Amino acid sequence: MELMKKTAAELSEMLTKKEVSAVELTQAALARTAETDEKVGAYITVAGQQAIEAAETIDNKRAAGEALSPLAGIPVAIKDNICTEGLLTTCASKMLYNFVPPYNATVIEKLSAHGAVITGKCNMDEFAMGSSCENSAMKVTHNPHGLNHVPGGSSGGSAAVVAAGEVPLSLGSDTGGSIRQPAAFCGVVGLKPTYGAVSRYGLIAFASSLDQIGPFARTVEDAALLMDAITGYDPQHDSTSVQTPFEGSLRAGLNANVKGLRIGLPKEYFGAGISDEVRSSVLAAAETYRSLGAEVFEISLPLVEYALPIYYILSSAEASSNLARFDGVKYGYRAEGCEELLDIYVKSRSQGFGQEVQRRIMLGTYVLSSGYYDAYYKKARAAQRKIRAEFAGAFEKCDVILTPVAPTTAYELGSRTADPLEMYAGDICTVSVNIAGLPALVQPCGFDGGKLPIGMQLIGPRFGEQTLMNAGLAFEQASGLRNLIAAL
Amino acid sequence: MAITRQEIEHIAVLARLDSTGGIFDRLAEDMQGIVGMVDKLQELHLDDISDVIDAERKNAFHEDVPVQTFTPDKLIAPNAPTFEAGGVSVPRVVE
Repeated sequence: MELMKKTAAELSEMLTKKEVSAVELTQAALARTAETDEKVGAYITVAGQQAIEAAETIDNKRAAGEALSPLAGIPVAIKDNICTEGLLTTCASKMLYNFVPPYNATVIEKLSAHGAVITGKCNMDEFAMGSSCENSAMKVTHNPHGLNHVPGGSSGGSAAVVAAGEVPLSLGSDTGGSIRQPAAFCGVVGLKPTYGAVSRYGLIAFASSLDQIGPFARTVEDAALLMDAITGYDPQHDSTSVQTPFEGSLRAGLNANVKGLRIGLPKEYFGAGISDEVRSSVLAAAETYRSLGAEVFEISLPLVEYALPIYYILSSAEASSNLARFDGVKYGYRAEGCEELLDIYVKSRSQGFGQEVQRRIMLGTYVLSSGYYDAYYKKARAAQRKIRAEFAGAFEKCDVILTPVAPTTAYELGSRTADPLEMYAGDICTVSVNIAGLPALVQPCGFDGGKLPIGMQLIGPRFGEQTLMNAGLAFEQASGLRNLIAAL
Repeated sequence: MAITRQEIEHIAVLARLDSTGGIFDRLAEDMQGIVGMVDKLQELHLDDISDVIDAERKNAFHEDVPVQTFTPDKLIAPNAPTFEAGGVSVPRVVE
């Protein structure tokens, strides 16, 4: 366990100095998983054998004197909607219960090129639709800081596996808050990168214009380390990513000086609906920034009132199109006893998709259907432009925007599953970032009365990741809230 | 805009989902509430926006060159529910 308490940066240094081998580190990670994951339930698949083999390869390269990436030999867990060649990739759905991808996502190729050791695939809400991990068809994931509570979602397993000290790093995906909200609930660092900063090739699509892969870690430096490895244009495969101004240099560019940094506090994000504990904790973080020399002032982003309808229209419309490919014919679940082709489609989809996925497909089909397209989808696209313009106006006045991540801390398992609208309302602080294509960093800023973590969100302008990381590092150093591992 | 049960059943047909049974009753009920939630968008006046495409955003194109070739036995066979004669088999669609 002692090894697993260390950050990825510390482990990287130990590996370089040969104080530990990649195999020993991987064995320690797998031992921690064996010890805790029965309680936490973060993994769907543990790839123990492949991980040890990958670690052996790294150790051999190091022994041969090859120059290696700082990530070489570091265990990394992967959300189960990111394709891994030869390794089960289920999207936590009955529809893909047996799907083994014949190729790797670009981020997996990049991690492999850096020598990262992939330990397995993490639980999530089915097809990344949900905010508590309770929509998984595979298992329940528990919040390591309070096992009776949700880890958040949809990347709940990726957040929990880092918070539990099973790995120092993991990857998730964020369509409306799916990295940030679980990071807040589990007391870890999560980055939703700028749209286009990370390739989506091999990410099983939910809403292609909003989806983005990003890192989980327990420190800002570690998040930068992982982000440096996965960011950048993939000229071979895709049109989902672009060259970024910070390509590979976020960690090297870290600077905790926030003197003169202009931080906006949008008043609409601190109003009714936000719990007192969350509000006061994020406002206390703002005071910390002020004491560090930042300029902190109130701003207004009134369109957040419309963010949820816009988000649910756009994301569901795209989901209904993206998920049309799951028809029971070529791969995944096929219903039995079908005598006609149409039967295969309808029965496989109705039996293979869970309730939440079916709700989103229905809503998406509705808002794209004849007679309703203009009133819903087209209008939501127009409103998206307004939200983007509103953020652009805000960033003329400030460098970053500080907000809560979710209205509350992690709630009890089962307490919000009856009413989908209650679950959707929890996304209010995060969806605008995806609608506008912006980056946002989440990190712990305190604890509630029940000792559950509270997170704060720093939003930046497009490709403003370095500014976010620097601001995050400054708060981390001032508050000491870093490398939090749940006592399990 | 309230959505009727008949419309919901029609949407299920378009979405290739089963519109019979108790599970669908729950789905139909949820849909009423969800459509009510997204209807809030109608309050917003957007007459000043004529083009929903954001011209500042450029697509990232790449050359359409094949970079990897999967053969049916590698790509399809391991994941296909049924695989025969080099292809996926489905119920007969032509008499």
